[in-house]
Amino acid sequence: MKRRLQTTIIAAALRLVHAAIVELQRLDPEVAGELSRMPVGMTYAIHTGHHAPSLIVQWDGQRLLRLSHPEGKKLCTLQLKALAISFRLFTGQMGLAHAYAQHAFTLSGEIADVMRLARLVNRAEAYLFPPILSRRILPDLPELPVSRLRVYVRVFIGFFQTAC
Amino acid sequence: MKPAYFEFQNAVKLLCGQNALERIPDELRHLEAERPMLLTDAVLLRLGLVDEVQATMRAEGCAPVTIFSDIPVDSSLGVVNRIAALYREFGCDSMVAVGGGSVIDSAKGARMMLSRDTDDILAVSGIENLRCGRHIPFIVVPTTAGTGSECTGVAVIRNEEQGVKMEFLSPFVEPDVAVLDARMTLRLPARATASTGVDALCHAIEAATCLQSNPLSSAYCHAAIRLIFANMTKAVQHGADAEARLNMAMAATMAGIAFSNSMVGAVHAIGHALGGVCHVPHGEAMGILMPHVMRYNLPAAAEGYARLLPEMVGWEKAASIPAQMRGEAMVQAVTDLLGQLHASAGIPLRLSEAGVEEQQLPRVAETAVNDGALIVNPRAMSVQQVLELLRGAL
Repeated sequence: MKRRLQTTIIAAALRLVHAAIVELQRLDPEVAGELSRMPVGMTYAIHTGHHAPSLIVQWDGQRLLRLSHPEGKKLCTLQLKALAISFRLFTGQMGLAHAYAQHAFTLSGEIADVMRLARLVNRAEAYLFPPILSRRILPDLPELPVSRLRVYVRVFIGFFQTAC
Repeated sequence: MKPAYFEFQNAVKLLCGQNALERIPDELRHLEAERPMLLTDAVLLRLGLVDEVQATMRAEGCAPVTIFSDIPVDSSLGVVNRIAALYREFGCDSMVAVGGGSVIDSAKGARMMLSRDTDDILAVSGIENLRCGRHIPFIVVPTTAGTGSECTGVAVIRNEEQGVKMEFLSPFVEPDVAVLDARMTLRLPARATASTGVDALCHAIEAATCLQSNPLSSAYCHAAIRLIFANMTKAVQHGADAEARLNMAMAATMAGIAFSNSMVGAVHAIGHALGGVCHVPHGEAMGILMPHVMRYNLPAAAEGYARLLPEMVGWEKAASIPAQMRGEAMVQAVTDLLGQLHASAGIPLRLSEAGVEEQQLPRVAETAVNDGALIVNPRAMSVQQVLELLRGAL
């Protein structure tokens, strides 16, 4: 039961992180700049455990698309070592830097590529989590050019549109 | 502070001290190796430093089947591929690497490929993603006291095409045996002694204060800093002092074990970028950047620096400094040591002295933020912040 609940929450959190990055591409120049420097075709696969949700995204030069299977040559795969660790990571109990420090995942691919992803996820988390939580899990709390509320609303609308 | 979770591994057997070199054949026998490949660089070959290793291997009936010495100052993907090809061509069954970080890391790279039967090292790049693969006996004899590569699960290899230094991290990268013999470093020039020693100091400081620091790696850091502080000047000024040389070698190994288990930080991230883009020698980049990065990190790392201060200046002096000022005092102690090494051995203190030009800095900053070492730095760093720091160090 606990595992099923964690799986459901992680799946929602992965969707939320992706939706936030997609919206922030339009709202936050930092995120837009980071994405524009990404090699076209760059694919990230984040696997959260055995028989657990995955997030696979690909930068096509304009948008960060969500895929069902990894494709393309430029692939960076993060395999989290256990669902319980993924749960901590995607519920704001642990940041990516601490996940790395605690050997929470393995990476196949170039380390430089995962650094790009880490900056994007950190930025998204800075918007998604309240400052009291962000301060605990992010190395530094960045200044945000857009209000959190605006981002929440846009992400919610995005969610709603995808669901319809 | 104890982390919520940490891992620590070091499986390297250390042979340290008198006649350590002469024990290599016995170690090869225990590893069931009969056809070793010897790796070194052209300078060490010319200086005759490898002769002693070769002679002892030959005398005990395990002479190297082939020698590869075409390894440049910065190891590269191309060199690694050539080593692997030669190893296969000669039917070797083990490796003995005699040299500095570049030689050792090149050997590590080739070993990674060979044990996993691949022709492309990029196919095995990543973090902790390697399976154990086929075991290839691997003995390392460092000829500098700095990189600590003889005891680490890290290989740094230059990607010539992209102008970046790539890191490969896995416990399966660790050698089987590391040989510390003072004879190997006695003839190291003062400047190289200083810059490699600074590299070891930087490993210890960054490993003790980064986000991945843990109690075991910290213990190694403290011991390494104490040894470096007590022996660095002696080793630089009196190169023939075998005791100081061996102490520096031990310090470098301990700092290597430490950072292999808790990573480094922004000094290394930016230093790798300076090496990749501007070809600044690694140890010299560490010396130039260390005071600047430590000052940047002070708001987040003052407590960690303060804990290291007694190892640098002694307990009495550290105790005489008010607690809240000890972090700053540690940065000053490092700056003072670097100043002394600048005066006695000529290591550069500014990027301009190392031949770096202002127009190269943006590319260095862009490269540095994509270096894996930055992820565990106590403070985050943007491209702009790296650029400002670099301009301050120019």
